[in-house]
Amino acid sequence: MVFAADWAGFAQQVVGGLASGGIYAMLALALVLIYRSTGVVNFAQGEMAMFTTFLAWALVQHGVGYWGAVALTVLIAFAGGIALERVIIRPVERAPALTIAIVTLGLFFLLNGAAFWIWSPEQKYLRSAFSTRPVEIAGVQISIQDLGVIAVAVAAATLLAVLFRFTKVGLAMRAVVANPDSSRLLGIRVGWMLALGWGLAAALGSVAGLLTASPSFDQSFMQPVLLYAFAGAILGGIDSALGAVVGSLLLGVFLNVVTSLDTLGLGWTIDNDLRLPAALAVILLVLLIRPSGLFGTAQVTRA
Amino acid sequence: MKAVARNAVRVLLIGVAIAVMIVLPSYVSDFHSRDLAQAGVFFIAIVGLNIVTGYAGQISLGHGALMAIGGYTTANLVAHHGLRDVWTIPLAGLLTGVIGLLVGLPALRLSGLYLALATFGLSVAMPSILKHFSGVTGGDLGLRLVEEAPDKITGLSGTVTIWGYTLTQNHFLYYLTWSIALVLLVAAWALLRSGTGRAFRAIRDSELAAESFGVNRALYKTLAFGISGFYAGVAGSLLVVSAEIVNPLSFTFLLSITLLVGTVVGGLGSLSGMIVGAFFLEYLPDLSDRVSRAPGVASIVYGAVIILVMIALPGGAGGALKRFSEPLTTRLYTRSQ
Amino acid sequence: MGKRSYIAAGLLGALAIVSGASAASADAPGVTSKEILIGGTIPLTGPASAYASVAKGAAAYFKYVNAHGGVNKRKIKYVYRNDEYDPVKTFDRTRELVQQDRVFAIFNTLGTETNLAIRGYLNQVKVPQLFVASGASTWGRDYKKYPWTIGYQPSYVAEATIYGRYIAKTAPKSRIGVLYQDDDYGKDLLVGLERGLGKKKGLIVSKQGYAVTDDNVRSQIARLKAKRANTLMIFATPKFAIQSYSSARQLGWRPKVYVNAVSSAANIMTIATLSSSKRQTEGSISVVFLKDPTDPRWKRDKAVALFRSILKKYNGGKGLRDVYNVYGMSSAFTMVDALKHAGKNPTRESVMKAATHLNERNNPFVLPGIAVRTTPTNRFPLAQAKLERYHNGRWVSFGPLVSVR
Repeated sequence: MVFAADWAGFAQQVVGGLASGGIYAMLALALVLIYRSTGVVNFAQGEMAMFTTFLAWALVQHGVGYWGAVALTVLIAFAGGIALERVIIRPVERAPALTIAIVTLGLFFLLNGAAFWIWSPEQKYLRSAFSTRPVEIAGVQISIQDLGVIAVAVAAATLLAVLFRFTKVGLAMRAVVANPDSSRLLGIRVGWMLALGWGLAAALGSVAGLLTASPSFDQSFMQPVLLYAFAGAILGGIDSALGAVVGSLLLGVFLNVVTSLDTLGLGWTIDNDLRLPAALAVILLVLLIRPSGLFGTAQVTRA
Repeated sequence: MKAVARNAVRVLLIGVAIAVMIVLPSYVSDFHSRDLAQAGVFFIAIVGLNIVTGYAGQISLGHGALMAIGGYTTANLVAHHGLRDVWTIPLAGLLTGVIGLLVGLPALRLSGLYLALATFGLSVAMPSILKHFSGVTGGDLGLRLVEEAPDKITGLSGTVTIWGYTLTQNHFLYYLTWSIALVLLVAAWALLRSGTGRAFRAIRDSELAAESFGVNRALYKTLAFGISGFYAGVAGSLLVVSAEIVNPLSFTFLLSITLLVGTVVGGLGSLSGMIVGAFFLEYLPDLSDRVSRAPGVASIVYGAVIILVMIALPGGAGGALKRFSEPLTTRLYTRSQ
Repeated sequence: MGKRSYIAAGLLGALAIVSGASAASADAPGVTSKEILIGGTIPLTGPASAYASVAKGAAAYFKYVNAHGGVNKRKIKYVYRNDEYDPVKTFDRTRELVQQDRVFAIFNTLGTETNLAIRGYLNQVKVPQLFVASGASTWGRDYKKYPWTIGYQPSYVAEATIYGRYIAKTAPKSRIGVLYQDDDYGKDLLVGLERGLGKKKGLIVSKQGYAVTDDNVRSQIARLKAKRANTLMIFATPKFAIQSYSSARQLGWRPKVYVNAVSSAANIMTIATLSSSKRQTEGSISVVFLKDPTDPRWKRDKAVALFRSILKKYNGGKGLRDVYNVYGMSSAFTMVDALKHAGKNPTRESVMKAATHLNERNNPFVLPGIAVRTTPTNRFPLAQAKLERYHNGRWVSFGPLVSVR
């Protein structure tokens, strides 16, 4: 039996995967940023983004214009990230990395609960930064929103790479993770560098939240995204900004393609219910070949 | 002299702990001993997790999935093959131990966060896998032993008689769980004092150094996962024996994360701390629920307590115990400055 | 009394109760001369906690009833525990409610998997499992095996059967694509659709499932479009229903949409419209059986005004736009009705009898004309609904009442 390939259908799935991947990439970048500047994984990254998205929504509800609300939210997120580091991470700064990770888990529950406490649980609407109008290119539909998300992710990755590689602050942040004690001797204000990492990651995360908030959001909307962002960041290499973007985009594409193999004319595809296991298996295979991810450097452990 | 005193204190404490555990059920309501049994399930699981993460240094975010395998083994054997529930416990442990060895294989290539993701992937994927193979697992609806094999459930009538003693079902579950927990605790203690335990710690502290001293990295890493898997399997099995049902919704990745929280709160690399971790996991959610009915408050309390505990005890309860007991013995036998 | 205080009391040796798992005693547990104690479980934390309103709405309504004299001079005390939508926890909390708190009946526990977990146990110990908050048809259907259980809301199978029949009758040349939640709820709707289509089952060209843990359904919607479907069945929860509209819009696809009642509240449709376009939601079809507080139709309705005042007084003013609260109140109204008819000194048997002999024409929270009615062999209390069509940004119902049992 011969099955016809549906190339347009396949390309549509790839494009859709890239669009989802762009969303994961933004949050993955925030994870990478915190990892590179403080050496820990922040389980609360998604809930921080959720919380700031609610703030943006509340601002709009109170009559602030959309772009004004976006700007304010990013600033609040930056300040909030610094404050969180100072208040709850600082006391455990010298504890094992797993202890800090558990503190961020506590923060996950705290922020999630706070959002339920302050705001009602129904779906909320915040307009999208970009138009959702589709454009057709060679039989494949792509919306301006999708293009915008991918563009923002790539821009953010570039900025991060530049920050870490070419600026004094970025260098100082890297030095702090590599060796806090000698950094201190060199006159780097270690505490503030760690806080800056949290502030920047929170700001980046807030953009991720705003981009994910369309078409609707609630208190749980960033949880699946965090999961994919984590997987994408690891696939790309947890210390690489470029890796976070490439890994996340690849993950988005994997997720769609494994369940659309029939469009390639195979006459068979993986069921939707095994989509996630299949995509994770692909990631595991890649990692077994490249144990530090696609773009990661052999890792520095802090346990 | 110091060592003798320390051991005497330790034996005394253990004796008191065991005595308290034996009489505890008579001081709480019958139903409450079921909750205490649940704490025992957590205890077994995090002692196992501590072996691989705290002693061998391999982060696992996949132990919820391993518990699922143990739990489903029991459920399937009881519901579909007519075995009595309690006899499936060792089988569930062994099967999960074998799966644990397999889960340990990626650890030969991966470490740190990369290994954490590989194991996390397993726990994220587990509910989908359980739902997919519905012939074995009962799919979305899971298996309900109460209805499918009521005669195989020990104590469904409300009481259990062993060696002439009649216990309520809840007391039976309590003593069953904590007896197994005690045996497994002693086994873990003996294991960690042996050459195997030293090999685990050597790998944790430095893989390169361990290898240069002739420690077989591959063997001991997978072994740690295998043994840990056995503990998780027994815990999962006991969970199902007590719950009498099994469902994919009970084994989401949140369970794996919860177990890690319990282990870190109890103290990585401390077996006695696990008792604190277990009670923390069993009682904190419920206490948080009771603070207020207002939406979100339970989560706020739960999160805040985790943060505060970690700030107060960065090394977990076990770390604090050490810090507390060592200066004590030091104070007793040396002059302070 | 909290668990902590149990331990404290226990260690002091002040409390030494070993009650044992005794069967129901002669006088009904949970009923005193002043109070009737009922209990249930609901997710109060975690991703499913939006459903908490189902319990909160009910709790607020009971407080309102208590403030107005209660039932036969008894106050209703409704204890709901957090099960996090985990059936093992549901079972554990329910056992606690029965063994420790000694409730009279289990009421309004939410979810299919969760209620299935406790049904065998409750029927074994003969504790009523009243007005199950789930649309699986088994609650109404399997009463011979489970006489102590009764459902409440319209069944998902029946709802989708209505869509199927409607399509077979009005648009027999459709090419139907189905998006469904890959669990018991979504699969029930699929079964119903196929049943309603009957011989026209072949109209379904593609069925795509998603998991609740997915972040979006774009891929599924793109596949439905690729199968050249022109009719989209959305058997999904609100988040994914909104995404279906918006993904279809981003793919330049405009099918005729049938959206299940779970997701057709007016505020959800407004978001769906805002995030896609007016033309995308126009003409959508659904069924309705409750008064949706966000629907302009009920702006001046007395029951919705009562709903708001109860929430303001007994729920801190929260959830005024939340239809789950209406559901909870409607269910609580029926519970009060059943208790009233269970006699001066209700027993578990008498309340079961009352629950299976309902004839409620005055439940203010359901659509006008719908009667909540049961018999011992018809255990679907809410068995009527109306079809509605989305037109110019609001729902307009059409046709007569239809049966959804």
